[in-house]
Amino acid sequence: MEKNESGVDEKNRQQPFRGIGARINRNEDARFLDGKGEYLADLNIPGTQEVAFSRSPVAHGRILSIEIPEEFRSQVFLMSDLGNIKPVRAVLNHPDFRVSDFPAMATDVVRFVGEAIAMCVAPTRAEAEDVAQSIFVDFEELPVVVDTLESAGGRTEIIHEGWPNNTVFISKPGNGDIDAVAKKADVIISRELRMNRQCVVSLEGRGVLAYQDRRLQELVVYSSTQQPHIIRTILAKLIGVDEHKMRVVAPDIGGAFGVKNNLQQEEVAIAALAKIVDFPVRWIEDRREHLIASAQAREHHYSMKLYADKNGRILGLDAEVIVDAGAYSIWPWSCAMECNMVVGVLPGPYKMEAYRGKGITVLSNKPPLGPYRGVGRPGACFAMERLIDELAREVGREPHEIRIENMVEPDQMPFTTIAGKLYDSGNFPQSVRKCAEMINVESFRERQKLNAKNGIHIGLGWASYVEQTAHGTNEWLSRNLSEIFGYESATARFTPDGNLILEVAIHNHGQGLETTLAQVAATELGVDPTNVVIRYGDTAVSPYGLGTFASRSMVMAGGAVGKATEELAEKVKRIGAHILETTFDSVLLRDGMVVSGERSVPFSEICRVAYRHAQDLPPNEEPGLTATVAYQPESGTGAFSYATHAAEVLVDTNSGLVKIDDYVVVHDCGTIVNPMVVEGQIQGGLAQGIGNALYEESPYDSNGQPLASTFLDYLLPGFTEVPTARIEHIESPSPFTRYGVKGMGEGGAIGAPAAVVNAINDALKNTGVEINETPVSPRRILTAIQRAASTSDSNEGNNL
Amino acid sequence: MKPPPFDYVRPDSLQAAVGALADLEWGGRLIAGGQSLVPMLNLRLAPLVRLVDVSRLEELRCLEETSDAVLFGACIRHAEFEDSEVPDATNGLMQQVAAGIAYRAIRNRGTIGGSVSLADPSADWITPLIALGARFNIVGQEGKRVCQAADMFTGPYTTNVGDHEILVSIEVPKLSAEAQTGYYKIVRKAGEFAMAMCTAIRDKQHGLCNVVLGCANRKQILLPNSSTYLADVGEWSDQVRADFRASYRKDMQQANRMEDLYELKLCETAVLQTVESALVNS
Amino acid sequence: MNISLKLNGKDISADVEPRTSLADFLRSPEHGCTSIHLGCEHGVCGACTILIDGRISRSCIALAVAADGCDVTTFEGLNDDELITQLKDSFHQNHGLQCGFCTPAMLISAREIINQNPDLDEASVRFAMSGNICRCTGYSGIVAAITEVAKNRK
Repeated sequence: MEKNESGVDEKNRQQPFRGIGARINRNEDARFLDGKGEYLADLNIPGTQEVAFSRSPVAHGRILSIEIPEEFRSQVFLMSDLGNIKPVRAVLNHPDFRVSDFPAMATDVVRFVGEAIAMCVAPTRAEAEDVAQSIFVDFEELPVVVDTLESAGGRTEIIHEGWPNNTVFISKPGNGDIDAVAKKADVIISRELRMNRQCVVSLEGRGVLAYQDRRLQELVVYSSTQQPHIIRTILAKLIGVDEHKMRVVAPDIGGAFGVKNNLQQEEVAIAALAKIVDFPVRWIEDRREHLIASAQAREHHYSMKLYADKNGRILGLDAEVIVDAGAYSIWPWSCAMECNMVVGVLPGPYKMEAYRGKGITVLSNKPPLGPYRGVGRPGACFAMERLIDELAREVGREPHEIRIENMVEPDQMPFTTIAGKLYDSGNFPQSVRKCAEMINVESFRERQKLNAKNGIHIGLGWASYVEQTAHGTNEWLSRNLSEIFGYESATARFTPDGNLILEVAIHNHGQGLETTLAQVAATELGVDPTNVVIRYGDTAVSPYGLGTFASRSMVMAGGAVGKATEELAEKVKRIGAHILETTFDSVLLRDGMVVSGERSVPFSEICRVAYRHAQDLPPNEEPGLTATVAYQPESGTGAFSYATHAAEVLVDTNSGLVKIDDYVVVHDCGTIVNPMVVEGQIQGGLAQGIGNALYEESPYDSNGQPLASTFLDYLLPGFTEVPTARIEHIESPSPFTRYGVKGMGEGGAIGAPAAVVNAINDALKNTGVEINETPVSPRRILTAIQRAASTSDSNEGNNL
Repeated sequence: MKPPPFDYVRPDSLQAAVGALADLEWGGRLIAGGQSLVPMLNLRLAPLVRLVDVSRLEELRCLEETSDAVLFGACIRHAEFEDSEVPDATNGLMQQVAAGIAYRAIRNRGTIGGSVSLADPSADWITPLIALGARFNIVGQEGKRVCQAADMFTGPYTTNVGDHEILVSIEVPKLSAEAQTGYYKIVRKAGEFAMAMCTAIRDKQHGLCNVVLGCANRKQILLPNSSTYLADVGEWSDQVRADFRASYRKDMQQANRMEDLYELKLCETAVLQTVESALVNS
Repeated sequence: MNISLKLNGKDISADVEPRTSLADFLRSPEHGCTSIHLGCEHGVCGACTILIDGRISRSCIALAVAADGCDVTTFEGLNDDELITQLKDSFHQNHGLQCGFCTPAMLISAREIINQNPDLDEASVRFAMSGNICRCTGYSGIVAAITEVAKNRK
């Protein structure tokens, strides 16, 4: 059989080709375009009572008493009313990791504003909120820790009793002799940088609905989660139900981006409540809860030293990173994941002789930190790429040239980085070169010279990054995680009428997997991808699997679907050859038929035989046409996508406003399954990266009170803030994955903060201003300019 | 995020509406478009006992045009100004202001009177109405009264309208055909509340020349020096810009508003953009 | 409190609490308009957009009692609308949706802005649509979809 580069059977390709690589529209669009998506709040289960949580108004306090009006006592459930529910304990398997518990609802101490204390149940949410408002909690207020650096500095106010300080974990990746490098370096770029705390903001909030199914004798938990199987496993343990007597269903999800990729305290509380009441109970997160009580993201502080020679060749990197992980450790990731990720990937696509990383995870009285698109990497990329641009400036060269010269070369692949990551394939410098062509750097510099009038400046910024995806078994082990997410499973099932169902354990909430997985099946089986049904999001409909996160689903579930449908293809061919009275080698699959020369037999006929008339099967062939498989990539170290972003911005120093004039992405995610979907993911990630760069911030005051609890204070990028990026692809298949596919869901969000902030700094380079903090708000820009103006001798007559 | 319980009445006359407010000592509140109030109710930030819906009262939907003014009912919606469904008294200024308020869906419901009555310091209507010298017709148990623009806005979220009173209509003097207007606001993203905003009007024929500044969380202020300078200034030039900047700084000094450098700069930008557009574009 | 209104062309009446939002009222099992999505409940995200008296409005910050006597149309009532059909197809062709949560409201808003302004270009589409938030697509597919429909209708 002919195989193409990515191992795909060429002869199975229908006309027009709609398998792996084809730009086809999405199967899942139809129900959403009809307004018929079914999200958690849409479920209509008779008798459902709604839950509102009573949440802490203080950031740190000991609960002295909880007063519940007598009329509402039966509608209010405290932790003590729920029976023996274990607290969540999310740890790394490392002796130095400091352990803490996160109860589903606070029992004695609250540690952030918004922490749940009680569940209030009523027929409507409004009434449930009335009950919640009637509860009075008396606190002994405790000292509040808000400032990241103070917390890291060993301040004495302790968040978890018995701890000597608030530091959870310190990781120290690296290699080489940094002191030797420091001695010989001509240039040292030394900077402090900060990526402030953010919320995730899925447009649909989180939500949980649970009830007892009397007939099946199981506890059914609907949750807006990215990982239903994993949630069942941990919920069962925490609330004391056997796993085979629990079903977790994730319906349509209105965006997740990581915030639905944790065990949620509310899942525990609602499931535990459903165990003891005889009606369904549901909690729908509202926007204020989302902004103050969901897992949050980022809050990194960097102290970086980049060593280079006088031509801009990087010699080494010395980095200390402090991440403020909030008050608790989130399961299964632990509160240290963010920081460990940052220091693990800081060197990015660059070669260097020495790297010394130190990642310090500290706690504070803020909501816990969880995964959000990019996990650690938007900050790491921002910090590293800011330094690269500053290095270029220092040695008087163009930033893109510096990048090209310092990057790992394609002939060095696979390449083990100074931080110990194994890059599988790619041509990093090519992404920069292509990007530079698309931007036309020389012509930009000409325009830039002309263009600094009336306080308006234009700037060009770059960001290159490597995006580890489809992290395998080895990777999770090396991170000391309690759960190992190195595989995915799938069942491929023909129905007796000849149609195909794929049952997978990942979830699809925007990524297009109802289309791209069908394209994989189309490639193996020669079926019409628009007619493949993908079932997911339900522990009752698929084999066990780990869920959709960390840009893993296309590689992992795609691989599993490929393997399962390949197995089916073999059997279909055997049956078809038998019916056609020819040999196995002389048949192929095309357009839903087994074909041999001029003759063919449709799959409906194959399935009739396989399911209903076994007497017509080949000798020794078992009835049925179903295959269940598990798949893990050949290497458990991950598949590495990469990209270079370039942003052209306009900075108005009169107002501090920034406008993005042009945005270019040159991207490589190995074999592309569907270019339309890939571009959609890049553009969508980019929007979130722009939010990170310019708009989104969740600040806290010194009492630990959140200052952004509505969309009036928490700004999201909208239609006028996000330009349409110009996107080009490079395709370097991964040697480790089926079809050479790499994940790519996060990259847009990883590169944008760095590219945009670099562009702003390029625009302001002649004003004496440098901004190394996100988001770059008008206040930060104008204040930086004012500061620069007051430190230089010029006063009036300059930009302010 | 659901409101606490409250009563709702929709009186069929202005008098009944006044009564519906008056028979409560506390907690009566008017609702028109509800585009600011209902979010506050949903957040449980606006305690109240009774909502009095005045959005359909004829007196508040009135529209009267005379030779020198237009009387706009308080419940005329932003979109009606945007779409020129009501007469224009201001050479397009009010249409320009309306078209920039929040988003279309909000403009379809929100009313000029509601916006004025809430007096959010970043609301769009306030600086133009002060600059235009609008008059506000207010009704209460004691009867009708008229409030001048200069006395109407007493601070962020506070106006001259009492708890038991209703803003019925706004009378906007017509500008002459030669009048020049400018309106500019600085927003971080389209439709968001402004960080700084300004309206400038120069109507030599009517002897009207006002530059009014608004700024997040601050009472709007008329800038006397800038207004005076605007009255007689010639064509826009770099020198004029520099002079405006100086007069603006003087205004801010007199208003004791020099301490927040960030605000000072933002407001300066809003003022300079506004006077430039008044002089150059209109 | 008793209210009567026209919902998707049918006269209905119901007893509602004054505090019930129009969104919650219409989403209730009795009316089943679950194309209305609640993304913020304070009038910013636009996911609850419907038509009140033919004009786009936020149903999360409209009170059901205040809609008494109004003509209310939700996405469910626009099945046969020609422009909505064109927009749906264009969203499909241009990858104008991912998770689908903002989609019905995007379509309703797009319909109004096209009806209002036949001369839309990319910039005016972006400005006019700025009251609807999408967290997935980064807007490019939506902008392309709306611009294409507007262009084809000229």
